[in-house]
Amino acid sequence: MTKHEIDCEQALDQLVEFIDHELPGGKHDALQRHLHTCKSCFSRFEFERRLKEKLGTLREAEVPSGTSERIKKLLKSF
Amino acid sequence: MPVSRETFESQVLELLGRLQGVARRLTRNDTDAEDLVAETVARAWRALDTLEHEAAFRGWIFRILNNAFLDECRRRGARPLLEPLDCEEPEGDDEQFSIFEQMHQPFLLWFSTPEQQFLDKLLREDLERALATLPECYRIVVILSDLEEFSYAEIAETLAVPVGTVRSRLARARSALQKILWQQAREIGLAAKAPAGQDWGDDGSAPRRTTERSKKGKVT
Ligand SMILES: [Zn+2]
Repeated sequence: MTKHEIDCEQALDQLVEFIDHELPGGKHDALQRHLHTCKSCFSRFEFERRLKEKLGTLREAEVPSGTSERIKKLLKSF
Repeated sequence: MPVSRETFESQVLELLGRLQGVARRLTRNDTDAEDLVAETVARAWRALDTLEHEAAFRGWIFRILNNAFLDECRRRGARPLLEPLDCEEPEGDDEQFSIFEQMHQPFLLWFSTPEQQFLDKLLREDLERALATLPECYRIVVILSDLEEFSYAEIAETLAVPVGTVRSRLARARSALQKILWQQAREIGLAAKAPAGQDWGDDGSAPRRTTERSKKGKVT
């Protein structure tokens, strides 16, 4: 084990940033390597990643026509 | 003025659906959401000279939306607030709730893990309901990160908090969200630990919607 390897506890500490793609490259890669070899962490991260992905499907970009009309009118009034 | 009227209008119209979507999840009702978006656009127009350049528009207008929402909550002070509007950051409160830890059975084969099955069965409405139950200060970070795909830096700017706070608040918000999902799942018997029929709701009611679930589309 080199000093670049991380253990399960360190992996878990970085879970939130990892699934949010906020870990700097080196740390991201080290964690990725850990996940390739650790089934327990892999399952945990996979669960969190899928839950985040499901939440992402709630995003909507549809505007009720009433709202759209109101905002357009408002913009014209400026 | 670095941002023209035309740019302002086109940016507002382009982001309108997302402003409306975030507003609806904050206010939990369509009428209030529309009012909030209108208030946001009016405030943004008046504050246009505080926008330095077009690239910052998204963070800037969502920040105005969030502030307008908080102001409206304060204005309606008569409504008893069940939760603090501004997040308290408890010191040393590292207790994290995790559905994974509740359900994971390490000796099962990978393709039949209970926690993955739990996710498979989660419906859009389950997630919507859990999100709506989340305290405002947690709901906003989940919306901005998981739905709107803001970076930590953008969330920090939108909420006017340090990036480190975004990170810790997101961790707590996701933990709280999982706790709610877990409670909901137990209420409808989806994650019952006790033998079926013994673990449904405190009032002993039968699980709701069990027959509907098989018919409805799942979130993929
Ligand atoms: Zn591990």
